[in-house]
Amino acid sequence: MTKKIPITPFLFLSPALLVIAIFVVYPIFAVIYFSFTDYNITNPPVWVGLTNYIQLFKEPVFWQALAHSFIYLLVTPALVFLCIFLAIIVNRKLPGINAYRALYYIPVISGSIAVGISWRMIFDTNGLLNGVLLSMGVINEAIQWLAEPVYTLPIAMMVTTWMGLGYYMMIFLAGLQNIPEELYDAAKIDGCNAWQKHITVSLPGLRPQITMVAVVSSLAALQVFNEVYILFGPLGGILDSGVTMVFYLWRLAFRMQHAGMASAVAMVLLVITLAFSVLNIRILERGTETS
Amino acid sequence: MELNKVAYKPKLETRQHKQKVVVQIFAWYVLLSLIALVTIVPFVWVLSTSLKGPSDPIVSVPPQLIPHDPTLTNFIRVWGQLPIANFFINSVIVATTTVVLNLLVTSMAAYPLAKMQFRGRDALFYLLLATFIIPPQLTSIPSFVLAVKVFKYYDQITALIFPSLATVFNIFLLRQAFKAVPNDLIEAGKIDGAGELRIWWDILLPVVRPTLATAAIITFVQQWNDFFWPSLMLHTRQHMTLQVGLAALQGMFASDMRGTAAGVTMTVIPILIFFVVLQKYFVRGLGGAVKG
Repeated sequence: MTKKIPITPFLFLSPALLVIAIFVVYPIFAVIYFSFTDYNITNPPVWVGLTNYIQLFKEPVFWQALAHSFIYLLVTPALVFLCIFLAIIVNRKLPGINAYRALYYIPVISGSIAVGISWRMIFDTNGLLNGVLLSMGVINEAIQWLAEPVYTLPIAMMVTTWMGLGYYMMIFLAGLQNIPEELYDAAKIDGCNAWQKHITVSLPGLRPQITMVAVVSSLAALQVFNEVYILFGPLGGILDSGVTMVFYLWRLAFRMQHAGMASAVAMVLLVITLAFSVLNIRILERGTETS
Repeated sequence: MELNKVAYKPKLETRQHKQKVVVQIFAWYVLLSLIALVTIVPFVWVLSTSLKGPSDPIVSVPPQLIPHDPTLTNFIRVWGQLPIANFFINSVIVATTTVVLNLLVTSMAAYPLAKMQFRGRDALFYLLLATFIIPPQLTSIPSFVLAVKVFKYYDQITALIFPSLATVFNIFLLRQAFKAVPNDLIEAGKIDGAGELRIWWDILLPVVRPTLATAAIITFVQQWNDFFWPSLMLHTRQHMTLQVGLAALQGMFASDMRGTAAGVTMTVIPILIFFVVLQKYFVRGLGGAVKG
């Protein structure tokens, strides 16, 4: 009944809006501006127009980084597939099932730095993997997993996937537990076997979770940095084999003092991120329309 | 004959059925354990390496999992050369301060977005949501400039707290929770003469306590494990958080695998204990995040 004086809501909102304005909104506009300047953080920016972009597009490493970031998106289908499978497996009443769920969740909470170092010890030339392969006679001499450019991205993507398994599994598990039991009973009457019922009931029922996992994991894949940094060091792997967009941005801005050009990289990444989000929202809307 | 058959057959079936169920359950445990092996093998190897004495080989054919000469000297050596206690204290301060202040700020913002009528409310909410997809690394250059030139908190842990005071995800989570609170409760408070601040603090916050717990844990773990921004800000050893310290340790002990392993073990165990104690909130948080 009583119409609120608009001042009260904004008093409540103001601390949050202030923080977001300073640390999210202002930096976006600043990074747009920096991308058109010659800037090295210490000296004031000098307007140079499109120079950074022209230079960037001539730079082979940029295209390499772009390609690597797109390749990295393959972790999304891998995670969706593996985590639905995992969720179905752990979605049953067995004694001790919670302990197993917790074990699968350990990589998620351990933090990417500890995880990265641990995997380094597996893939090291003197690591566990070579030890196992040598003793099984699969290989005759140790492979330098971390120094071979062809292995760089697959190893990093494997570690990213491994770290996400438990997290996305839990999301799908919550989704599975929301699907009414009657739907499975109906599928059984229709003659579906144990795996068929998951195709006909679980997959359509998990639609909101699949969309969410696709959005979250692909945005995370576009932002990958920690795994590459810890596994392959500040150079990003031999011959830039692990340099992703964020890694390239970091190296340009904070190692090579090219903050202007790094801002141009940020803009390209922003456009990709926005395009991806719009695409994802489109798919999400189409999903809700049909159901 | 006929009767016998009828009476006998179901009995046989149940026995076969029982056997089948036992085999099936066994197969599930085998599968579950194999997956668990995949998810913990790197940590088991790290733990094993961290306990290995000088006479235990790091690499051997076949690999040696259980040290013959177990020792804690690796832990003592790492503890002595790096201020690990400082890393811990810094991480705890950053994570807990962020959680407390962030929840105050975001729950305050979530109240009008959920329960008050004012012009532009929904537009504002969607604008806030839109900022959610901006990766923080993307704006790291201006944030770095702000830290060095405006706020002057470069190389201090406050640099990690201020930018995290308001997160859109938590505003979203708490708005959903507030929306589910019946309006009658708020009206009753108003009749009793409570102001908006009292309604928020005394009525709404206690009702959404489970969501607060969830948001607190998600924020805590996020801050605890954050690396990109902290690595840009913190350079003095004494000021580092655990993640930045761990990365430094990796560089320092590059040729000392036992030491690196001990460092990783020391930093992972506390967060594991935290997880085991609060496991149910982790699970509920993830389920709730999707439903909203």
